[in-house]
Amino acid sequence: MKYEAPLEKYPVNIREAVLGKGEKAIKIGGENTFPFHFFEGSLPDPPGLALEVLDIQPENWSHWVLEPFQDVVSEPVKWAKRCVDVFGAEILCLRLLSTDPMGKDASPKQAAVIAKKVADAIDVPLIVWGTGTEEKDSRVLTEVARLCSGKNLLLGPVLKGNYEEIAQIALEHGHAIVAQASMDVNLTKELNIALCKFFPPEKIVLDTTSSALGYGLEYTFSIIENVKQIGLINRDNMMQMPILADFGGECWRSKEAKESKEQGILWEAITGITFLLAGANLLILRHPDTLKLIKEMISEKK
Amino acid sequence: MALKGAEIMKRLPKTNCKECGYATCFAFAMKLATGGAKLEDCPYLAPEVKAELEAAMAPPIKLVTIGVDENALVIGEEEVMFRHEKTFFHEPGIAILISDKESDSDIEKKIKDIKEFHFERIGKELKINLLALSFESGDKTKFETLVKKAYETTDFALILICNNIDVLFSAAALCADRKPLVYPITKENIDLAIPKLKELRTPAGVKGESIEEIVSLTSTLKEAGLEEIVLDPGSKNVREGIRDQTFIRRAALKKGFRPLGYPTITFPCFMYQDKFKEALAAAAFITKYAGIIVISPADKHFLFPLLVHRFNIYTDPRRPMTVEENVYEISEPNEYSPILISTNYALDFFIVSGAIEEANIPAYLCIKDTGGIGVMAAWTSGKFNGEAIADFFKKYGIENKVKHRKLIIPGVAKKLKDELEEELPDWEIIFGPIEGSDIPKFLSKEWKK
Amino acid sequence: MILIGEDLNVMSKQISLAIKERNPEPIRKFVVGQTQNGMDYLDLNVGPLTKEPVETMQWLVKTVQGFTDLPLCLDTTNPVAMEAGLKTCKKKALINSASGTSESKEKMLPLAPKYSAGIVLSVINDAGLPSDADERAASILESLEFANELGVPNEDIWIDPVLLPVGVDQRQVSAYLEFIQMIPDLAPGAKSVCGLSNLSYGAPKELKVLLNRTFLVMIARYGQHSAIVSGFDEELIHINKGEIPEIVNLIHRAMNEDDMDISSLPQKEVEYVKTTQVLMGKTLYSHSWLEV
Repeated sequence: MKYEAPLEKYPVNIREAVLGKGEKAIKIGGENTFPFHFFEGSLPDPPGLALEVLDIQPENWSHWVLEPFQDVVSEPVKWAKRCVDVFGAEILCLRLLSTDPMGKDASPKQAAVIAKKVADAIDVPLIVWGTGTEEKDSRVLTEVARLCSGKNLLLGPVLKGNYEEIAQIALEHGHAIVAQASMDVNLTKELNIALCKFFPPEKIVLDTTSSALGYGLEYTFSIIENVKQIGLINRDNMMQMPILADFGGECWRSKEAKESKEQGILWEAITGITFLLAGANLLILRHPDTLKLIKEMISEKK
Repeated sequence: MALKGAEIMKRLPKTNCKECGYATCFAFAMKLATGGAKLEDCPYLAPEVKAELEAAMAPPIKLVTIGVDENALVIGEEEVMFRHEKTFFHEPGIAILISDKESDSDIEKKIKDIKEFHFERIGKELKINLLALSFESGDKTKFETLVKKAYETTDFALILICNNIDVLFSAAALCADRKPLVYPITKENIDLAIPKLKELRTPAGVKGESIEEIVSLTSTLKEAGLEEIVLDPGSKNVREGIRDQTFIRRAALKKGFRPLGYPTITFPCFMYQDKFKEALAAAAFITKYAGIIVISPADKHFLFPLLVHRFNIYTDPRRPMTVEENVYEISEPNEYSPILISTNYALDFFIVSGAIEEANIPAYLCIKDTGGIGVMAAWTSGKFNGEAIADFFKKYGIENKVKHRKLIIPGVAKKLKDELEEELPDWEIIFGPIEGSDIPKFLSKEWKK
Repeated sequence: MILIGEDLNVMSKQISLAIKERNPEPIRKFVVGQTQNGMDYLDLNVGPLTKEPVETMQWLVKTVQGFTDLPLCLDTTNPVAMEAGLKTCKKKALINSASGTSESKEKMLPLAPKYSAGIVLSVINDAGLPSDADERAASILESLEFANELGVPNEDIWIDPVLLPVGVDQRQVSAYLEFIQMIPDLAPGAKSVCGLSNLSYGAPKELKVLLNRTFLVMIARYGQHSAIVSGFDEELIHINKGEIPEIVNLIHRAMNEDDMDISSLPQKEVEYVKTTQVLMGKTLYSHSWLEV
């Protein structure tokens, strides 16, 4: 039996989502094969790598991950600019933790003002992330969507309990959304079907929720692999949206990441590369060194 | 099992004569597929059919053993491309590279450090037990000294990396009973290597500049009766490595292409200078099918994440990961500290214990054995109901650990509160948050009151 | 297919209270209703029955037998309760259930030859639930060997391949369909049974019956002997009796993957086709599977 390279070709594409506007807008997805399988298909868009900033002062962050931002963490705009201008983040994720009802419980208006300031201060695509509290996020993200109209933000997390309101307002104001369903392919599909009744599928990015190395990484890995296959191989068009993985925070919260800078960076980077290998099209990271490291790894040529 | 029962069935006599001890040929076929019966048990198989079945039933990826006894590395016999299809079976070996160019004292120190590494995760030991010894000095004596040192002062499995075929096999002879992997066997040296491999009966690491080259090498070895083989397709970086590993596994599993039906070896240590990139490459190969990953010596902060990563990727997705039943003390609780209770499903344990640590509030975390299933399923099957938890309290003497009588239960277990109020009338049962990640906020608000 | 009515179940508050209070009236309603609707067996599901197992089971069996002549399927994990029930049954009973676990082989399985009862034998063993058809085959072969040696012939064994909810683990549903076809060759003479309603657990309430009915047709085609079903789903009972052949044929054609122009079919038929495709594993399950 003679050897023939066992190539596999899939007849469909993952949809391409466009984030942000203008020169620095980024496309993610668009591939018709598995991650890094340049040898048998096309992967037009490199994975997006985002850095995150908070709109409150970080509590309990380990020294290693606070260090790069120590002097700017009390000002989201400065912090955001540091990420973009100094650390080269092509995408920024703003976490509106001030709106947490169990915390500061800032109003939607207050949060939206911060989001607008950050959005105006940077030219790269902006992800705006709530706290995962359905009712509050609905009001907060609505305000954000209005005030930042036309900027094509990526708003999340959109959940089963609030997708109607958030997706509607996102549509009206030209934003994309993150559809989040925790660790379950059937629920992921369910949410997508409900959304696509009125919301364009190419403006949806999927979040199956992520667990860090040592804390359930393999569950996330297999779910993302599975979602990607259901889209590419089973051709299920309700599962053909690009996927994001959001795990920087969880990695750095672990006691392992706090032991040393090296271990912390590796904890985050290994988690990240694993999810890229599963099919994630966008990673939300916390440490700029992790971003640099992953970027160099994925940019290498044959 | 390479061949499914239904496939085997097609070649059996189908007379249901029962002489094999099973009621039907189909039952016999299913048993053969799972290794519960032997082909010999059927007296009516023609010799050619028996030989064909034997060949077809052999696992598509050969099982290869390097080393002996406790530290033997067993790799191969994988069945799937994606772990969610079933599971990955044999954890890859992570080998630490030691060069014979180093001074004797450096080598001694490195070996000592490696022996002293101790890593564990949820009660399981994560082993480093594989050394890759590299001939770089050009001096045969130096290499042999290194090999002897490793052989005599450790029980580790060994990989010998040496591009001089004579030196390679003379060093192998020094540790032959440890079944070292000899590498590289190439198209240049294979003719010389074969008689030596037959003599030593030790596994061979085959290297080619391309996959096609490897194919001809393994076929030659197989013809010589040598099948303990590990493959190196010569990938230069992660991107090539992913391609080559994917091709090899696909060819073996999906095309039944026997010449590539062997586990593989990868060398991040030779691909990258930067330690971080080397670690990421190692993680990539752990994820993508490699049987052995050779890395440069590193401190524990580089090794530990890789070991945990290997552990994670190779857990069996069909069996929930569990932690041991116990009363876990988090951040040194005292008799006024809160008590929480949950199941021994590892994922829940991580989330809850991590959240408590984050809260910086010392607490007792009671973990009840529910066979690894989560709160709701465990409650439904009676493993996490009022009675079961009351028994747990008795068994672990919870009443003696704290002065208060408050128990925090998972917020999702709605019916559990009533049950516990009946079973533990002295206790106030408090609903914790529904999401484990809300525990810090919950504790700082509710417990401090 | 033999139908076993599932509605006499302690998960129902009515039944649970009636049993506790020894009140025969609610029991009568359920028993007579299911009998009149044409069930072949009645399942008595009492759960673990930790309190007064013997008296409770005796009372229940006697009460039920006062209202019906149907044979009974005794559904409890408690061997003491099971034995009390078996002693009280007038007709040949069905033990629901034993499994391949060491505990069940020791405590439950021997009751079958002792009382000449039929026994439901599930594929679960000490390693848990098998993850595919081949693993189920390996497990059941072992259990059958053990049971046969105890003196239980295949004809008295009702194999339960264990049906999981399609919304929880869709691949296990495919494994079920693959395994059920193996049974005649694996265990000649053995019967099969499943808890049909498990399939639709967690699915939207109004769509559960669609899943159950479709699956019933599919497994009937593969030779399934019996199923534990709702004794009050009339359309299911009609389908089982062969009174709605058009739907049965439609589902068979969808199973064959015949070329069908779905757009030309009436709504109800489209629903059966889509449901068949999901149950075959061709389409990923979601609660809105009919809307795609």
